[in-house]
Amino acid sequence: MMLEVSGLAAGYQGADVIRDVDFHVDSGEAVMIIGSNGAGKTTLFRSVLGLLAPSSGAVRFEGSDIVGMPAQRIARLGVSFVPAERHLFPRMTVQENLALGAYPDRPDTETMTLVMDLFPRLAERRRQHAGTMSGGEQQMLAMGRALMAKPRLLVLDEPTTGLAPKLAAEAYQALRVLRGRGLTVLVAEQQVPLAMAFSDRGYVLENGMIELEGTSEALSMNPEVRRSYLGVT
Amino acid sequence: MIASVLDGIVLGLQFGLLAAGLTLVYGLGGVLNLAYGQMAVISAMATLFAINAEVPILPAVGIGLAVGVVLGLIFDQTILRPIYRLQGEARVLLSLLLTLGVAFIVDGYLTWRYPTEGLTLRIGGGPIEILGVPMRRGSIVASAITLVALGALFAFFRGTTLGRAVRSVIEDEEGARLVGIDPQRMLRIILALSGLLAALVAVTQSMVRPVTVSAGFGITVFALIVTVVGGLGSVTGAMLAGIILGIVSSIAASSIGTFLSLIILLGAAAVTILIRPSGLLGVRE
Repeated sequence: MMLEVSGLAAGYQGADVIRDVDFHVDSGEAVMIIGSNGAGKTTLFRSVLGLLAPSSGAVRFEGSDIVGMPAQRIARLGVSFVPAERHLFPRMTVQENLALGAYPDRPDTETMTLVMDLFPRLAERRRQHAGTMSGGEQQMLAMGRALMAKPRLLVLDEPTTGLAPKLAAEAYQALRVLRGRGLTVLVAEQQVPLAMAFSDRGYVLENGMIELEGTSEALSMNPEVRRSYLGVT
Repeated sequence: MIASVLDGIVLGLQFGLLAAGLTLVYGLGGVLNLAYGQMAVISAMATLFAINAEVPILPAVGIGLAVGVVLGLIFDQTILRPIYRLQGEARVLLSLLLTLGVAFIVDGYLTWRYPTEGLTLRIGGGPIEILGVPMRRGSIVASAITLVALGALFAFFRGTTLGRAVRSVIEDEEGARLVGIDPQRMLRIILALSGLLAALVAVTQSMVRPVTVSAGFGITVFALIVTVVGGLGSVTGAMLAGIILGIVSSIAASSIGTFLSLIILLGAAAVTILIRPSGLLGVRE
């Protein structure tokens, strides 16, 4: 198992938003966590990735315990996180943002070429400041920056937030290419159809708890999932 | 008039370097260091004592600069510890109170113990003519050193991985952590750099006029004015504001008088802040 989360509880000001969450991601898999707005997806990811201290539970990455580790150390272990708010460096150029993704190493040309091939728009806008780009371009840059670290696990929190349908589809197309290259991907998504078509397995998070889990195929047949998340009546 | 502008540029470069050390610590850590001037004075005194102990001038300056770096690191490890535990406005306020306390203690001790000491580095040789204006050799050397230091600062921030990492923390701390940068470590580096800049300003200033034991608060106030006008957290803004205020102050001093020039300087700062609350190049919150 690449990532293993068990009994995780976390929240803000003493009130747990997520409770007793168990899930795992195997090497080479694409796993989705779906749930409505406010279900706790972001809290879950923040506590897994060291941005929020969990109140209890265990998180293991490639066999080592990473719970309570600061985010910058987890990042250096080979986990790249693309948050929904992106957290780019707005007054730095596309090129500088990407270069920092490789920190503390110098960006290597092979990875840079991969990112530029994946997102040709970034190549056109190398010298532009990140803060002046459109939402779609910023999302591409956030994904590109995460890839520069050559992660073994890529975690994305709602990568399609605020994107037009065409750009959302493009983001998932890029993820498909990366999967083809052997990258393990964990994604939280509200736009369930896109995530469903992309992932192997999934978990349904509701009110801070995992309510359902299964292969994406099985979940897409589940009447409850169809009603709540796929808009099928 | 040309003489005043040139004098203003000499003064302004110093202002800019001075403010850079203060603005970086604020931009990175949300800490305003009111003991900044005292850091400069302690470094100047270290240089002075080394010279008095017959250490040759260059190594003596080196000692002063090293003392500045060490002071920055000591600050990071001691007085700033409790400050780092707070966030936002509470952090700024506690940093103001604690560093002001340190400033008073250091200032009081130094003026009691060494009331008449002051560092003056004499640069020999006659004046050099620039654009037909004879300039003191000390001013030229001081400005040259300041320009080199500023160039080095820009090269560091634009051209090195570590420099970019420091900037990324100013831009977006969470984003920086996500790419594996430890903000606490960057802050430690910047405090050392800030101490170095304070010491460098003390040394270059002593080539133009004596740096006395009681110069600390004056240095902090000027650094603060330039920082606020330039925009908190912006080194380029600090440079720009430094040179503009330097020229304003120098022209005012030669045409109206030294004492009134300070009032005019403060007036210019106040007007800038009224027009652009975030400073010339500050980050708008």
